[in-house]
Amino acid sequence: MNTLSSNSLIGHLQKYWPLYVMAIPGIVFFIIFKFIPMGGSIIAFQEYSIFKGILDSPWVGFKNFNLLFESPDFYRVFTNTLILGLLKITIIFPVPIALALLINEIRVTLLKKSVQTALYVPHFLSWVIIAGIAFDFLSINGMFNIVREWFGMESKLIMQEEGYFRWIYVLTGIWRDAGWGTIVYLAAISSIDSQVYEAAVIDGANRIKQMFYITLPLLLPTIVILFLMDLGNFMELGFDHVYNLLTPMTYSVGDIIDTYVFRTGIQGARYSFATAVGLFQAVIGFILVIIFNKLSKKVSGGGLW
Amino acid sequence: MTSLSYGEKVFQFIVTVFLCIISVIAIIPLISVLSISFSSRLPVELNLVTLWPKGITLESWTYILGRSDLWRSFFITLVSTLIGTALSLLITALTAYPLTKKEFKLGKLIMIAAVITMVFKAPLIPYFLTVKEVGLYNNPLVLFIPHVLTAFNLIIMRTFFKEFPAELEEAAVVEGAGYFRTLFSLVLPLSKAVLATLGLFYAVVIWNQFQHPLLFITEPDWFPLQLKIRQFITSDNEFPIVGDISQLNYNARTLRAVTVVFSMIPILIVYPYLQKYFVKGAMLGSVKG
Repeated sequence: MNTLSSNSLIGHLQKYWPLYVMAIPGIVFFIIFKFIPMGGSIIAFQEYSIFKGILDSPWVGFKNFNLLFESPDFYRVFTNTLILGLLKITIIFPVPIALALLINEIRVTLLKKSVQTALYVPHFLSWVIIAGIAFDFLSINGMFNIVREWFGMESKLIMQEEGYFRWIYVLTGIWRDAGWGTIVYLAAISSIDSQVYEAAVIDGANRIKQMFYITLPLLLPTIVILFLMDLGNFMELGFDHVYNLLTPMTYSVGDIIDTYVFRTGIQGARYSFATAVGLFQAVIGFILVIIFNKLSKKVSGGGLW
Repeated sequence: MTSLSYGEKVFQFIVTVFLCIISVIAIIPLISVLSISFSSRLPVELNLVTLWPKGITLESWTYILGRSDLWRSFFITLVSTLIGTALSLLITALTAYPLTKKEFKLGKLIMIAAVITMVFKAPLIPYFLTVKEVGLYNNPLVLFIPHVLTAFNLIIMRTFFKEFPAELEEAAVVEGAGYFRTLFSLVLPLSKAVLATLGLFYAVVIWNQFQHPLLFITEPDWFPLQLKIRQFITSDNEFPIVGDISQLNYNARTLRAVTVVFSMIPILIVYPYLQKYFVKGAMLGSVKG
């Protein structure tokens, strides 16, 4: 290939040009929507002005990054990002596993199907809708407070209070996606050889024991791969998810890097500064993905690529 | 199937009851908005409405369904989802097909590029500026153009094409069909499963997207459904109350409830028909390695 003379290149293209023509839209798409923005990250090292453009905006070295590391706002959003990330992998992650193990115990097919459908449906609602429902449900006249009243408890404004924001994030995350997450585990469970269970029954293992000593251990490889992938995506908390739940009253705990970049960069038009924030996040994300993908390959032989 | 002991039966019963309770809890918030959307203003204001509508009325629905701006947003979203999904499948297939051919010398380069886009996410601001620069700001095309290809879907489709029996394709080539004809009249018609699954992926992304329109559409005339709904449920002066309030049978809350239910309807309608493809998609999504 590297020694192709111009003649044979022309010959090659004469014969195979349709393949190259086919790929053009995809190549152009990747260049415009992925690689040019990546290159555009260099405005983090500039005092970018939309009128001067990248070529004429002055270079300022690491000034934006210094600004960033001196800003108390940044530590706040970075901490919030880390905390939500931790909650995501410690609380949200295990829920589908537990649900899948339990769903697997239902013997009545119709019930099983209904439970699965009920748990899958929220996955297809947008975060605007999920948040809209959450705001209504937890509002002062919402069902949550009506039920509290029945039990003689005072009503509470959950969505507007700092102390609850993270739990709302976790709960809505579970509500929307945990059921959906069971699909992979249920598929892995159904691929377990039934002979293993038959042998266990002969040895006197009941269904609870089978769950803990057969199903769970055989699920472990799947769990490990998904867990490592989740760790690699640690910084991706979902802009739509957080943004739609946020109110000015909950910024102190709910403002994450993504929403901060949106406010400073898009709404505040501090392009270079917000790019520095975004680049910082992208680099951390990159390192995490590389590390955990390597690990996942080592553990299971499969990874993202 | 061996028969279960008494203890196991109790265990299964408890598990089943538990899961049924969980499912009901998962559905309750949906039922709650549904019942508010059909209730009259007064019982809603008196905190009387929970799971069953009180003072059943269609007035909130009539008001919302009479809002032409909501219908406009609905059709913007519908059209961009339909066009976007078709275009996405076309471009993904066109890019994936050459990747399965040895004669195509850029295959390796494109695969590396695709993986790079998966591990290094360009920061938001340069992305925003680039998309603006190509003329997609306040342009309805931005609702689907940036979504027409993802590295992930590209890899899935390539994997699928690779499993296509080579003899069939060779036979087509022998009969004089070029690459384009082979792809469109032989390979794609036999790839309906992967097309349906990926098509649903793309469609759900475009239908539910929020961040892109938030970034790129500031002109209310071009708001897609999700932005419109967000506008309805966050703004207090979105529903002008005209005339005598005590005569009205709805309030902001019942109207918001209608908006939320309205936007769920299309998804709930298609869901039962497409469930098997959704499930297939979820499998592709995670056990690909």
